[in-house]
Amino acid sequence: MNNSKIKSIALKSLSWTYVAIILGILYIPIIWMIIWSFTGSISFSSWNGFTFENYSNLFVGSLSDEIFSALLNTLIIAVASSFIATILGTAAAIGLHSIRKKWIKTTYSNINQIPMVNSEIVTAMSMMLLFQVLRRVFGTGSDVEMFEVILAHVTFCTPYVLLNVAPRLAQSDNKIYEAALDLGCNYWQAIFKVVIPEIMPGIIVGFVMAFTLSIDDFVITEFTIDGFSTISTLIYHKASGKKPLPSEFRALFTIIFFVVLGLLIFINKPQKEIKENKK
Amino acid sequence: MKFKQFSRKYLSIPYGIFMAVFIVLPLIILFLYSFAENQQDGSLSFSFTFENFKQVFSSTNLIMLKRSFKVGIITTLVCLVAGYPIALILNNSTFKYKSVIVMLFMIPMWVNFLIRTLATKSAFNALGIPLGGFAVTFTMIYNYIPFMIMPIYNTMQKIDKCLFEGASDLGAGPFKTLLKVTLPLSLPGVLSGITMVFMPSITTFAIANIMSNNKYSLVGDYIQNEALNAANFNVASAISLIILIVIGISMFVVNKYDKDGSAAGGMM
Repeated sequence: MNNSKIKSIALKSLSWTYVAIILGILYIPIIWMIIWSFTGSISFSSWNGFTFENYSNLFVGSLSDEIFSALLNTLIIAVASSFIATILGTAAAIGLHSIRKKWIKTTYSNINQIPMVNSEIVTAMSMMLLFQVLRRVFGTGSDVEMFEVILAHVTFCTPYVLLNVAPRLAQSDNKIYEAALDLGCNYWQAIFKVVIPEIMPGIIVGFVMAFTLSIDDFVITEFTIDGFSTISTLIYHKASGKKPLPSEFRALFTIIFFVVLGLLIFINKPQKEIKENKK
Repeated sequence: MKFKQFSRKYLSIPYGIFMAVFIVLPLIILFLYSFAENQQDGSLSFSFTFENFKQVFSSTNLIMLKRSFKVGIITTLVCLVAGYPIALILNNSTFKYKSVIVMLFMIPMWVNFLIRTLATKSAFNALGIPLGGFAVTFTMIYNYIPFMIMPIYNTMQKIDKCLFEGASDLGAGPFKTLLKVTLPLSLPGVLSGITMVFMPSITTFAIANIMSNNKYSLVGDYIQNEALNAANFNVASAISLIILIVIGISMFVVNKYDKDGSAAGGMM
């Protein structure tokens, strides 16, 4: 009896040590980066003393203009694409919910899955080719640049919106919509005043997820962008050169890490609510 | 057509059109490019050829393809062997703050892989570990292990707890239960994890270049170089098409074993 208890405690501590080691490996580089964001030296070999210089250099340093415009582009693309993706995905989810024909539903959900399961580089390659062909057909030049990147982002964000909204609709009671119509709502009122409020948590999570995916994306952006940069393409082009990465980038990474962390915590919170409601 | 009367059904039309133009059409164009002769200006010609595929498997590329497979297989195996116990421990635990720990494994999946890779590079530099083959494989494992742990963990969560009690009532020890109950029932998650690690690890570009100072390139780097630097869209399309087919087949297999999509679902 006592022996088996000791055994189980030993097993437990052994397994948690293992979890801690793997977590350590996952987080040491990130923590390392955060610590070194508070010192000015370019290489990681000599600690120059604690400073906020890297952070202030993001705003006033020699690279600040470049970083700021990349940041602005990233935000414009993220806001526009997550907004469009949310509207498209939510409308599609509501529409699909009322469709009875099974083949239509399966076709939608299969095609919707493609951007999620496909290798990013294949999606990127195919989007790039599409824009190549479209530019030739419509005779447009690089003036549609930002628009193309936004469309590419909408393509890989909308599936996640649809997947977040659809379960909410499945949970909701279809009769409420019918009742709203019977009680004198027109179709749009019934949708905006009855259906949308009910699925709002799913829409918000979908929106935040789309936003997070968009600011985080590198591969698809790199293939569809030309003539300007976003934060991730800027990082890539600075990092792939021979020179070491300027030290203010460590500050930038730290900020991005905490922003993404915040968004993630937000995404995961309302999902708990769904489970609680089910009980 | 009774289009005058509004129905909620019509709300799905815009996304249907969008999917046709931005998901299906690009793949058709990719397909056409991969069988078309290369044009100087990158336009799509309509002369059919297998030349692009021949070029993909040319002798110089074979080294790169072999290397990619090697890195992909090692990454997948290490992720599986190191990740499975994590999923198992998390699943068996009754720890109060388990969800926080699960979250800790999920966060890296969402932090830009470039940042994680550059962070690893600086850690390697500081520790004096040379960049090269080992550094590339290590960073792949580091980047993709959460993608192995999460689907396995999600599948384990769905296993009916009564089965474990039943196994122990019928005299199976913890090890036998693991072997005869948990392992077979978690296979859909394992399969899903393998597809989420193997293909991305050989097709993601930048990681190999960054971690080897541009000495190593894998399939992803090759596509990027052909498409963006050499502007040979046809060869890049041909290799993308092969990847697409491999992914299609593996998704088909995964879906067969994971009918409710529980492993892939709940990733977020």
